Amino acid sequence: MQRKRVVITGLGLITPIGCGIDTFWKAAVRGENGIRPLRNFDASEHRTKTGGEVLDFNADDYLSKSEQARMGRSSQFALAATKMALEDARIDLSQHDHSRIGISMGTTMGEPQILEQAIKIKYAANEAEKIPSTLPRQYPCASIPANIARYFSISGPHIMIPTACAAGNYAIGYAFDMIQLGKIDAAIAGGSDPFSGIAFTGFNRLLATTPDVARPFDKNRSGMAVSEGAGILFVEELDAAQKRNAPIYAEIRGYGLGCDAFKMTIPDPSGSGGIVALKRGLEHAEVSPESIDYICAHGTGTVENDKTETLIVKEVMGGRAKSISMSSIKSMIGHTMGAASAVEAAACALMLKHQIALPTINYNEPDPECDIDCIPNTARPMKLGTIISNAYAFAGNTSSLVLSALKG
Amino acid sequence: MKRKRIVITGIGTISPLGNDLNEVTASLVTPPRQTTVQTFPFHSFDKPVSCFKPASYDPVAILGKKGLRTKDDATKLLLSAAELGFKTLMEECPEERRPGLCIGTAFGSVQSIGDFLSDSIVNGVNTVNPQAFANTVINAPAGNANIRYLARNLSSTISTGFNSGLDAIIYAFDLLQRGYLEQIIAGGLEEISYYALLGCMRSGILSPTGAVRPFADDGDGIVMGEGCALFLMEPVETAQKRGALIHAEIAGCANGFDPATGRGKTSDGSAFRTVVSAACAQAEIDPGSIEFVASGASGNPAGDRLEAAGIAAAVGSGTPVVAYKSYTGECYGASGAISVLCALADMKKNRISGIPAAPYSSIGPVRPVFGGMDATIRHVLVSSFSCDGNCSAIILKKVNE
Repeated sequence: MQRKRVVITGLGLITPIGCGIDTFWKAAVRGENGIRPLRNFDASEHRTKTGGEVLDFNADDYLSKSEQARMGRSSQFALAATKMALEDARIDLSQHDHSRIGISMGTTMGEPQILEQAIKIKYAANEAEKIPSTLPRQYPCASIPANIARYFSISGPHIMIPTACAAGNYAIGYAFDMIQLGKIDAAIAGGSDPFSGIAFTGFNRLLATTPDVARPFDKNRSGMAVSEGAGILFVEELDAAQKRNAPIYAEIRGYGLGCDAFKMTIPDPSGSGGIVALKRGLEHAEVSPESIDYICAHGTGTVENDKTETLIVKEVMGGRAKSISMSSIKSMIGHTMGAASAVEAAACALMLKHQIALPTINYNEPDPECDIDCIPNTARPMKLGTIISNAYAFAGNTSSLVLSALKG
Repeated sequence: MKRKRIVITGIGTISPLGNDLNEVTASLVTPPRQTTVQTFPFHSFDKPVSCFKPASYDPVAILGKKGLRTKDDATKLLLSAAELGFKTLMEECPEERRPGLCIGTAFGSVQSIGDFLSDSIVNGVNTVNPQAFANTVINAPAGNANIRYLARNLSSTISTGFNSGLDAIIYAFDLLQRGYLEQIIAGGLEEISYYALLGCMRSGILSPTGAVRPFADDGDGIVMGEGCALFLMEPVETAQKRGALIHAEIAGCANGFDPATGRGKTSDGSAFRTVVSAACAQAEIDPGSIEFVASGASGNPAGDRLEAAGIAAAVGSGTPVVAYKSYTGECYGASGAISVLCALADMKKNRISGIPAAPYSSIGPVRPVFGGMDATIRHVLVSSFSCDGNCSAIILKKVNE
């Protein structure tokens, strides 16, 4: 039997360079820097004082006060982005069987601000009884897809895959699987993470954060920028999308997963897990390295990550590696954790639509160990047919998602 | 695409019922053993809190001392279960064909996450141990297991609250259907943590009496438990080719969500019924063929009422229903996987292990089993309909020798 073709028909984006598809896209094409001195988080005691906060997000634009009170910032981001994606897909859910729509989400920290709030209340009041009884149910990361499902009355398969900073790709990949297996007709898939004191403190203590801005692949790169955001994709079967004349951004061709199985916080210098994921992604998508036009890099801006990712691409793409355009949008939005690869997948869909590859900003000096074409500083109009989005994570998780402009 | 038949061919567990299938089988006919916890690294409770913990469990004896210093309790539980169940398999399997890992957990290493935060509040953000940060991602236990066994083929973590363990098995089932891997070790894990206990207390779902009374009309809440249950899953052809012992077939599985939950609305059970129907359809059986239901009932009256109504709507009210949580407490993300483990034990013995108590007045409309009963078992429905809205169903089928 012929495999079902799965397409992306709606996008929702919450990022430090803007909320909404058009706002994000215009800022990204301009090469806007979303990494700034932190305003909403007190970083006075930390080594790093910059990060990527979403400053133009107003929950009132998407949710009532009572709805906001029932959920954390990660869920609010996810719901707002889902609303955008459904509107963008021009889908009327009332015309669809809600048990045939799935939700597949990813995150790194879930709702860390809820736990932070509860523990701070306990220390401040010195009694646990001061913690509001409604707070604990908002903490589990499973509450993020649950809040989406409740809001839209969706009863189909429902999953949270918290595989840290690769979680978005895992979630999108599983949505693709569920459609191809015939379990569902369509899915809301993506990732969400709010700014987290735990993550900011942890990356600071690991000396992994940049003191100013992220400079992926630059010789003087100084680390990653902790950030927040959400990316949501509405994905569905091609036939259904065409039948309802939906706008089609891209086709999901396949994906590959792997694991470094090396260390919890640093990538395997040999790139083992990334190589497994990239090879599998190409294999499952049934595309060759020769047909890849662009790679959306994990590109965090840490010395180790960018060096290793370059090695992975060279190993799998062989002689083509240096000629494939490969940029990191984390240079603009920072590392949105579990949202990162979902935001990047949405960015890839937009790149395919507009036939423009987004740049790596803050790039000044080439690094011989990252000798790739990283689209320095300026967006590049180019032919984009098939592209890959890499995402790696704490605990060694690796992933590569393959997308194509729709053909045939 | 022809559906692959997926079977369970290996078990690894650390649980309040024991650390292998034989111990679990024996424990299901003995009274449950509770213990208490009170003091944690940064916090303590005013008085001891009832809970269920693995009875005889020494991670150092299982794993050795090396490398354990930086591993937290959740990771040690997972590594220990994996070591007991799959060490030989992992060592003998060539690296490129080594099974993938898929772990369900509601909270992951939440003790480490909360302690990291507490440490940074108490001692300052610039003194907190950076090594401890590695344990603050929800996928840390799974990642540690991948590292220990050099398992590069898959590292997934699934988190859907109480249903995490069942949903991890369903996720693995789907990935095996896709043919991505030949074998996956999937299951559930949960540690007892100060933060989860505190959350349950503040939410009012923790039993103040420490009594576990699933489906009781006077149930007063849950007692927490911890544990880990893992299963080696693979296509039946692969299992038969290598002469593996087959514990059961996962004949069908499905999950979904009831959006009426958590919003003050009344569930009509239709979402759960749809999920069970989908699992039955996949298993090619009528719901009437199910000999018993291994439910997720825990003693939390709101959740138990939801689940009872859902089961009655899905399979009728005459099918015997068990609640293995009466032996283990509420092990959250591990509970579904531990239910699968107990169901395998009962299938093997042709027995239905009921609630280990004298019959009490139950909420209806289902028929909870008290004590135990003999029965010829071919199909078991392991389900969970959580008060958070997650609905999951797995149908286990006995495979003839």
